[in-house]
Amino acid sequence: MINLQDIRDTARDMLAKGEVRTVIGYRRGTRGMLAEPAFITDPAQADDLVWNPTCFHNLSLYLVEDRKFLAHLRQNPGAPIGIVAKGCDARSIVVLMQEHYFKREDVYIIGVSCEGTGVVDERKLAPHLNGFQASDAVFDGDDFVFTTAQGEKRLPAREVMADRCLECRIPFPKEHNLVFGEDKTGRQLAEPFAALKRFEAQEGGDRWNFWSHHFDRCIRCFACRSVCPMCYCDECVVDSITFPVTSETSAEEKANRIRWIERSATRSENITYLMTRAMHLAGRCTDCGECERACPVNVPIRLLNNKMEREAREKFGFEPGASIGGPSLVASFLDNDPGDFIR
Amino acid sequence: MSEQQDYEPRIVAFLCKWCSSAGSDLAGVSRIQYPANATPITVPCTGAISPMYILSAFNKGADGVLVSGCHIGDCHYIEGNFLARRKMQLIMELIEFIGVEPNRFRMSWVSAAEGAKFATVITDFVNDLKPLGPQDKLKRAEQA
Repeated sequence: MINLQDIRDTARDMLAKGEVRTVIGYRRGTRGMLAEPAFITDPAQADDLVWNPTCFHNLSLYLVEDRKFLAHLRQNPGAPIGIVAKGCDARSIVVLMQEHYFKREDVYIIGVSCEGTGVVDERKLAPHLNGFQASDAVFDGDDFVFTTAQGEKRLPAREVMADRCLECRIPFPKEHNLVFGEDKTGRQLAEPFAALKRFEAQEGGDRWNFWSHHFDRCIRCFACRSVCPMCYCDECVVDSITFPVTSETSAEEKANRIRWIERSATRSENITYLMTRAMHLAGRCTDCGECERACPVNVPIRLLNNKMEREAREKFGFEPGASIGGPSLVASFLDNDPGDFIR
Repeated sequence: MSEQQDYEPRIVAFLCKWCSSAGSDLAGVSRIQYPANATPITVPCTGAISPMYILSAFNKGADGVLVSGCHIGDCHYIEGNFLARRKMQLIMELIEFIGVEPNRFRMSWVSAAEGAKFATVITDFVNDLKPLGPQDKLKRAEQA
């Protein structure tokens, strides 16, 4: 069990001593039970921090934002940023460090172990609450306890947990400066890649029907890209409006720039977008599942990322976010990589 | 003649400058007969091929995409084809995953001396593509 007061005390002490300039964590949001990202700079605010089953955000995104902001201001980082990180978030931070986005000393990782549970999936929770909104959610052993207008509702965590948490193999931040909670690495609430296997059990023609249905629905709002800590490119290859335009850019240059895909939300362009994104995340995605949660039309984006993760694991023995000095998936190779498909 | 017989698949072939491109040239000067369905695009190395090229080729109406480069160990840049092998495996799996016929994407190793092999690769690919019919899953709709 994690004692929330420990997290708050740590944040307060570190801010007071000036060891970190900000602590990125979670605080109570304004909508029901949901937590929201919090940026604590004043030690007095440290008591705002919370830790509950609705802390699903991958906060490493804000380390990227901070980097971009500092680059814009042309400032050096100074003291590190403290960040509250779950297992998957800590792996994202490791991937960012692998890619030299920032250095290890620029970040102070306050790890929190998900232990035997994880975060809640609102879509799974809704049917259990009889139409009421939960105003509070807390961890309690292997259960979640929700408070609604009807009173307290205790539910076994595995019934309402997000799929990604059920399938998670390493619910513990291996890379950390400080960690709260027990290391329950190796717990198995569901088979790894269970959702993917369920999908693959359907056959052949069904796959295209399934995907074309979802690709048709994508509205290209780019929420999946915005919420992803790995999608940090300033210029996004699939989105022509992100290409830089300065006073020097001529009309001709703008017109003749390569547009790999159009911005229109049609099926063919959506496919190319989502598949490009899956390729770009291959070996980098740590399965925090935020893209799927953020998707307003419920496109099962996680399946694509999971597929890449599993191929990398099975074919190349690659584990994303394993160590800071580790290789990247597509910039490394082994002599005995499989090549049977090549004629 | 039925429409099926009329159909000629369009293949986009990404050929490595140092081997497969020369291999296709050898097939030509040796007067080996092979179908004219492939549009060759010469690239400096198979390792330089972004998976985006393949998606983009399908997006712009290719019925099949061929990636051809040097045999393992023969890369002009030492390790380009090792990198390509990984990337192409991933994109191949992904294309198959969303329900596109796996036969639409092919990779082969063709050296500069293998004109006959190049002809075989193209012939086989065309034969495999013909029963599949036009590729319209990833193809961009015609603009009105």
